[in-house]
Amino acid sequence: MSGKVVTVTSGKGGVGKTTVTANIATALAMLGKKVVAIDADIGLRNLDVVMGLENRIVYDLVDVIEGRCRLRQAMIKDKRQPDLYLIPAAQTRDKMAVSPSDMILVCDELRQEMDYIIIDSPAGIERGFRNAIAPADHVLIVTNPEVSAVRDADRIIGLLESEEKGPGRLIINRLKPEMVARGDMLSIDDVLDILAVELIGVIPEDESILISSNRGTPVAMSGLNGSSASQAFRNVAQRIEGQTVPFVDLTPKTGLLNRLNNWFSKS
Amino acid sequence: MEQVASQIGIKGIREGLLISVPDRGSFADLVALLNVELAQKQAFLQGSQVALQVGYRKLDKEYLRQLQAVFEQNQLELWAVLAEDPSAREAARELALATRLSGSQTDLNGNFLSQMPEPGTANTVASAQPAQGGLILKETLRSGRSIFHEGHVVVIGDVNPGAEIVASGDVIVWGRLRGLVHAGALGDETAVICALELNPTQLRIADQIAISPDEKRGRTIPEQVAIRNGQIVAEMWQK
Repeated sequence: MSGKVVTVTSGKGGVGKTTVTANIATALAMLGKKVVAIDADIGLRNLDVVMGLENRIVYDLVDVIEGRCRLRQAMIKDKRQPDLYLIPAAQTRDKMAVSPSDMILVCDELRQEMDYIIIDSPAGIERGFRNAIAPADHVLIVTNPEVSAVRDADRIIGLLESEEKGPGRLIINRLKPEMVARGDMLSIDDVLDILAVELIGVIPEDESILISSNRGTPVAMSGLNGSSASQAFRNVAQRIEGQTVPFVDLTPKTGLLNRLNNWFSKS
Repeated sequence: MEQVASQIGIKGIREGLLISVPDRGSFADLVALLNVELAQKQAFLQGSQVALQVGYRKLDKEYLRQLQAVFEQNQLELWAVLAEDPSAREAARELALATRLSGSQTDLNGNFLSQMPEPGTANTVASAQPAQGGLILKETLRSGRSIFHEGHVVVIGDVNPGAEIVASGDVIVWGRLRGLVHAGALGDETAVICALELNPTQLRIADQIAISPDEKRGRTIPEQVAIRNGQIVAEMWQK
């Protein structure tokens, strides 16, 4: 068995890489896959917080690389999903503590027993980014429907192409359908028009994401209230698995009040 | 080594080429990297003068001599070393290499502030001869890509915002032009820029600069941009 390495990256910070990583890892585990999430953001770790595993950390990625523990010892088992693990980043070191070839070695070992290795890349295009994409079989680029995030995603896609990691697949995060409808936010088509890569997910802006991140329970798992973001993440996981899942219709519901509003704002 | 391949930046400046190399990694890696990169691009780089930007890398005279040799093998001439490390600058001076670009035309990142040659300098002589040779790129130029070419450039694909093309001749974009293009960069005022869809961040021809009007343009018709009466104008391609 040989697992696939999926790296989540974006260029720009704050677009939701860590949230996306945590949720996709969780959603894949919910499909019955053996998944390990790796936090490659050495020095600024927070994947452990979003997954609610912060207090269980004993060893981290740098400990593995520098031989202070075995790989297995650094793999923290998730609280809820039996086949989900996390390898946290070191908080007290920096990106230079890890090299791209270290990442390849670690991932090659993990491939033996895992179905998916999901890597959370740090922001930027420097060493940390190169560490994160070095072992990747697939790359997911997270962007927001705003000009600066799309610009950075474009840069990242260019870098991926020059590293022969393919153009990658795109996740548009934090889309607000109402704002798109009003013409105040880039639409999915606007983003794809510039980036021209395959779309693998559209995650709507949803308060439940923030709430569940703060609680340390990825929304993909908690989405009890039928949260649309929760469904969107699970759809991404199924698409990674190679299934064809239609995109959820995100056009805002046009109730009578909305239509009246539109009518007034037009006149 | 692959991981750092794209860390070698090559861009055109008035004095020739500005090549920036990564701070980190061993010297042997750097030499290997340069050899690969220069060999690939030898065809259109050769004969240029090179200013090498080395960041905080520590280099002594012996290392610099080796670098000189690397460039010589690739038919390039190293004339300046831009280093942050004082001892590397000292070593460069001892080898009679320049350690800064003249007239401080670069900003702190080594980005060239003005790519316009002053009238009467050697570069305008170059423009008297028509630009030769074309570079055809069958790909979309994404943000961060920088193409410098002495001659014409044809892109079959889009030029995205954040990408730039600097050419001494004409620039044709068979696709959407949304980035920055500088045609006739060595002073050729007859250079033109053509695109199927023209929506650039900025256009330059010779020493003229133009920006797109602010309002969104719904038009998606081919246009040609040229200098008319000393001004950059865009004309619809309808002949």
